Amino acid sequence: MTPHTPAGPAPAHAATAHREAAPAPNPTTGRGAARVVAAPDTPTPAARPVATPGTLAPAAHPDTRRRPVRLEQRFGDPGHPANTSEPPSAHAATVTETTRREAAPAAHPDVRVRAARLERLFGDPGDPVNPVGFRALLGADSDGELLAQAEELLEGEGFGAELVPVFLGGRLHDADGLVRMLRPVFRRDIALGFGYGITSLFAAAPVFAAGSEEQRASVARLLASGGRAAIVHRSLAHGTAMLRGEVDAMPHGEDYLLRGRKDVVINAERAGAVVAHVRTDPAPGPAAHSVLLLDPDRLRDNGLRLLPRRPTTGMRGCRFAGYEFEDCRVPSDALVGAEGSGVRLALRTFQLNRTLITGAVIASVDTVLRSAVRTALAAGTLKKRQRGVLAGVFADLLAGDSCATAVLRALSLLPHSAHLAAAGLKYLVPDLLRDDLEELATVLGAGGYRRDTDQGMLSKLLRDLPAAGLGHAGTASCQAVVIPQLPLLARASWTTEPEPPPALFAPDARVPALDLAALQVAGGGDFLAAALDAATTRLTENGTPGPYGDILRTLATAFRNALLDLRDSCRAVEPGDRAALTSPVMPALADRHAVLSVAGAALATWEQHSDGFLADPAWLALALHRLGRRLGLTLPSLPTPCVDHVTDELLTRFTTGHSFDLTNAPLAEAGTP
Amino acid sequence: MNSPAVAPPLLMPGPGSPWSRVRQSMAWHGHVVVHAEWRDWLPATLADPTLRPLLGPRDWQRLHALTDPQARDRFAASRLLLKYTAGAALQTPPDAVELASKAGGRPYLRGCDQIEVSLSHTGDLLVVGLNRRGRIGVDTERADRRIQYSAVERHLCTPDERRRLAALSPKELQHDLVHTWVLKEAYTKALGQGMRMGFTQFGFDAGHSTLLTPQGAPASHGEWSFATFELSGGHLVGVACHDAGYGDEGDTAVSTMLDEGFLGEVVDLVGRAAR
Repeated sequence: MTPHTPAGPAPAHAATAHREAAPAPNPTTGRGAARVVAAPDTPTPAARPVATPGTLAPAAHPDTRRRPVRLEQRFGDPGHPANTSEPPSAHAATVTETTRREAAPAAHPDVRVRAARLERLFGDPGDPVNPVGFRALLGADSDGELLAQAEELLEGEGFGAELVPVFLGGRLHDADGLVRMLRPVFRRDIALGFGYGITSLFAAAPVFAAGSEEQRASVARLLASGGRAAIVHRSLAHGTAMLRGEVDAMPHGEDYLLRGRKDVVINAERAGAVVAHVRTDPAPGPAAHSVLLLDPDRLRDNGLRLLPRRPTTGMRGCRFAGYEFEDCRVPSDALVGAEGSGVRLALRTFQLNRTLITGAVIASVDTVLRSAVRTALAAGTLKKRQRGVLAGVFADLLAGDSCATAVLRALSLLPHSAHLAAAGLKYLVPDLLRDDLEELATVLGAGGYRRDTDQGMLSKLLRDLPAAGLGHAGTASCQAVVIPQLPLLARASWTTEPEPPPALFAPDARVPALDLAALQVAGGGDFLAAALDAATTRLTENGTPGPYGDILRTLATAFRNALLDLRDSCRAVEPGDRAALTSPVMPALADRHAVLSVAGAALATWEQHSDGFLADPAWLALALHRLGRRLGLTLPSLPTPCVDHVTDELLTRFTTGHSFDLTNAPLAEAGTP
Repeated sequence: MNSPAVAPPLLMPGPGSPWSRVRQSMAWHGHVVVHAEWRDWLPATLADPTLRPLLGPRDWQRLHALTDPQARDRFAASRLLLKYTAGAALQTPPDAVELASKAGGRPYLRGCDQIEVSLSHTGDLLVVGLNRRGRIGVDTERADRRIQYSAVERHLCTPDERRRLAALSPKELQHDLVHTWVLKEAYTKALGQGMRMGFTQFGFDAGHSTLLTPQGAPASHGEWSFATFELSGGHLVGVACHDAGYGDEGDTAVSTMLDEGFLGEVVDLVGRAAR
């Protein structure tokens, strides 16, 4: 225990007032605000990164196309006018970092352009000499660290600014756009995505939503300059190590005294700000917690102790350590929002976290599906069973992305009702994807255990994905949002609510800027159920020509009937009846509701596409069929060509290097066989 | 650190079994494996008016689709054993648990992902596994089952395992083969894939406790535990037990799973909206 005098330790300072404009270099990494120039985005030749001497020492690759080349060989004369508009690659950029770090990167205003650029900069991940490719990432994972070159690349791009809302000077316009930026990172390494980036946003979101102007500005500066923010959660029901343990705050004159510990905090060692969800009222209830913004550098040795790093099974490259508060004195202006608003702030901001995580991990599973396709093709033509697995997972990715994209946009378009869909999305889709990974294991076979190629990303993701989703504690916190709303939705929304705006599902729709303060945490209807209902009505009344007409009608009707059954079951529960809400019947109903939500999003997305593969009913029929099995529905067989048709699109995208999500975006390996 | 990686199976010969042992094993080990002879559960299945709600509509349909009376009894008994065991872990009545299957066929408890389940039977024996730390797969065979090595070696064993087995006497070979077999079944069931996962794509060490690549290198980072158990009736049980590394606190009750803070806030807001 720290000696405690009657007067208490001198108040340490909250992050707000004293955060410098640019953080000092981080003591752990030796990096900090270092930035490199990124010129305005211009199309570049396929920018496959090259091995920087000393970063990775692969033997000369037998394939001369994959041998490291010198910078000037690849990019020509650096003085040539054609080569001056953009740094040749981030790896090369880091070489000149010391001379160029002062200027801020001028980022392209269109996030799609920035995302495409990031993808190109990371280069072909399957290239064994790519210093930020799978081989290097798996090596870093084995060492229990994030890949330094990958962090440098993100730093060079000023990635931190992507996590800061536009109104605070950053580049975060809306959640759909941010996910586009996250996917190039997540398709390579979930741990990098979390450890470098989004956990800082998760920590900062309550400050962005409800902090004072000063608090918002200081956290915005920290993130935009490449610093990290850490989050200390309150203790949640059925908590994992990250959610267990709690910090109490006791009023002490004008200050708070903090006491308690949290053993597992991502980036605890290198956070420039800590957002702590602390208990300010010992009585139980939703108003017992508050959010504090703390400056760990100033509190350390003033009642805040850093606990040692803990190795983890998943996301091993992330640094999880802990904090212990021992009568740690912080001024009351560290409070974010009102005292007692902690739970509501968490509910408000968790809907963003849930949606971003789900949207981003779709890219992680893309990698394993791609690897499975490559493995299967290497053995010759695809067998029937392999086609079934590969097409099925592809259909799941499209359905999952339909739902993720709709909710990402809903955060901007329907801030009153996004909470429900966000919880359902996060509850179901990561679980479907985890099952998909195991299905892909049957195609990858022994290759899935490798530790040096893209195939090994399977084993890594099977460890990382549960860690990213927080397991049962993560799903239970989603169920706590959905379950109490079901009885009311059954009475007031399902089958009567008008359908949502088409922009939720339309290709390339633009949405208003995300306003975290506008997000509501309960009520507001169920737009995905409304979408399911409306799409089913159109399918049954107007019909769909072609060989998929019957099956789509049958599937959609079966889902709507399941919604009617759900309505009957939920009408039997009185809204607000705690005993009924915590009965074991309710989680099963919430599970069914989540399946129906994804089905509704998939149907509406298909309807909103008028050309291209996404307008084709084959993927929708396959996706709905799989969701129907999950629901326990008895369904007719799919038309025979369905799986082959979806497989053909999968193979086209594989061969041409395009993503297996709704965006069909070109990848860095485009053109690489 | 001497506690076994996988807890030995517990005998649960009917609805009146000591279910607190299930909760104890779940709390202590993170998982539990129970076994029973299906005939011991017959009184609970025969003409029981509670059977229909216990099975739920889907399994009730499946039961009535079975024409062989013995298969029907065994099916009902297996569902009851699973539901009583899961109910004990979730601290709910057994009929409150909905047993469902995922698209690939993996059984799961709908809405209650705090525990994963696996089920196996052979002859008279039923085996159920529950795990709160990750995936679980159980499989059972007669311990004296004869396996013709020459007929299965290329479908069942990796090159590394074949090297190991080649050095064994015929008796040792039989012993090793059936242990390897139940573990491969258990692991692929834990992955939710069953026979779809090729048995030559992964292997086990001589102690049947470590997952290996076909060439004999380690294939996991310690998140999987394996064990085989010989039961007194001559059955062998293989268990594959996964630890996703959540570091959870061990509470698997349904009644406590919804966070009081979140639930309270949403109930309050919904209540206000409804007024």
